[in-house]
Amino acid sequence: MHATLCDLIMDLVQNSVEAGASEIELTVRATDRQIAFSVKDNGKGMSRDVQAKAVDPFYSDGEKHAHRRVGLGLPFLLQTADAVGGRTAIDSEEGRGTLVEFEAEADHVDLPPFGDFAAAATMMISQADGFELRIVRQADNDSYTLSRSELEETLGDLNDTENLMLMKTYIRSQEEDLRKAG
Amino acid sequence: MAKLTLEDLRKLRDEKKQAMNQRDAEGKTAQVIIGMGTCGIAAGAKAAFDAFLDEMEKTGVTSASIKQTGCMGLCFSEPTVEVKMEGMPDVVYGNVDENTARRIVRDHLKNKTLVSDHIFDKPSTDIIKD
Repeated sequence: MHATLCDLIMDLVQNSVEAGASEIELTVRATDRQIAFSVKDNGKGMSRDVQAKAVDPFYSDGEKHAHRRVGLGLPFLLQTADAVGGRTAIDSEEGRGTLVEFEAEADHVDLPPFGDFAAAATMMISQADGFELRIVRQADNDSYTLSRSELEETLGDLNDTENLMLMKTYIRSQEEDLRKAG
Repeated sequence: MAKLTLEDLRKLRDEKKQAMNQRDAEGKTAQVIIGMGTCGIAAGAKAAFDAFLDEMEKTGVTSASIKQTGCMGLCFSEPTVEVKMEGMPDVVYGNVDENTARRIVRDHLKNKTLVSDHIFDKPSTDIIKD
């Protein structure tokens, strides 16, 4: 199981990157009542058959690691939703991309803590080259957006340690402002 | 902290730019690659990443880049971190929790000594001290 909701989100975005997506949109909405997030990509997508298998923890396509018998990314998401009476949806088409959605009541006792979004976002944005990641972060009364290309244009090399520190500071300031606005 | 705009971020970047240019001319000295598959994330890759950044800032080890990769196939020793730097063997560290990440920055990146008890992939037995 992932310890935080941010970990679940990072896993989904990593899936999109590994699916060869050039455009990824992550929306994360957290209010006092509800947590909802979605990841939409234009990666290689999944056939109906693969979609059914992808939610099975004992399935992996075997492309990266020939002998591996498990694939836990999506199963973790489903398990979390199941534990808190939440909802997930996976909509994918081969060659077109994938949309994964999650939502749950914010006050369920078994809901994992939200986690450190500034650190998670910094990691997601800097994890690879050659894709656009747009992040929309929403609370009740406010929102902010991040764009990987905008940050790269502003900072330069997104793997450089000092740029990573600046990026995290920047995202943390957005998070603090969002928290204040509620 | 007041909410920063992209313009503020650009200014911060420019303030550091001169030092960075000078350093870039000297070349990056270290590459840190963190496994970020399901296994890495579940084992605490984010905490390791955060600790690397924080300790690098504290110790002034900034001539480095941090990259992420998917599962390296070493799920049982996650978080795994590969460190490459000039004058040092390429090393894959396993079970890199927050404290180990800080030790890697101080010992490996700054003082050029291996953090032997976390080396997963032994580069060569004759250079590891028990």
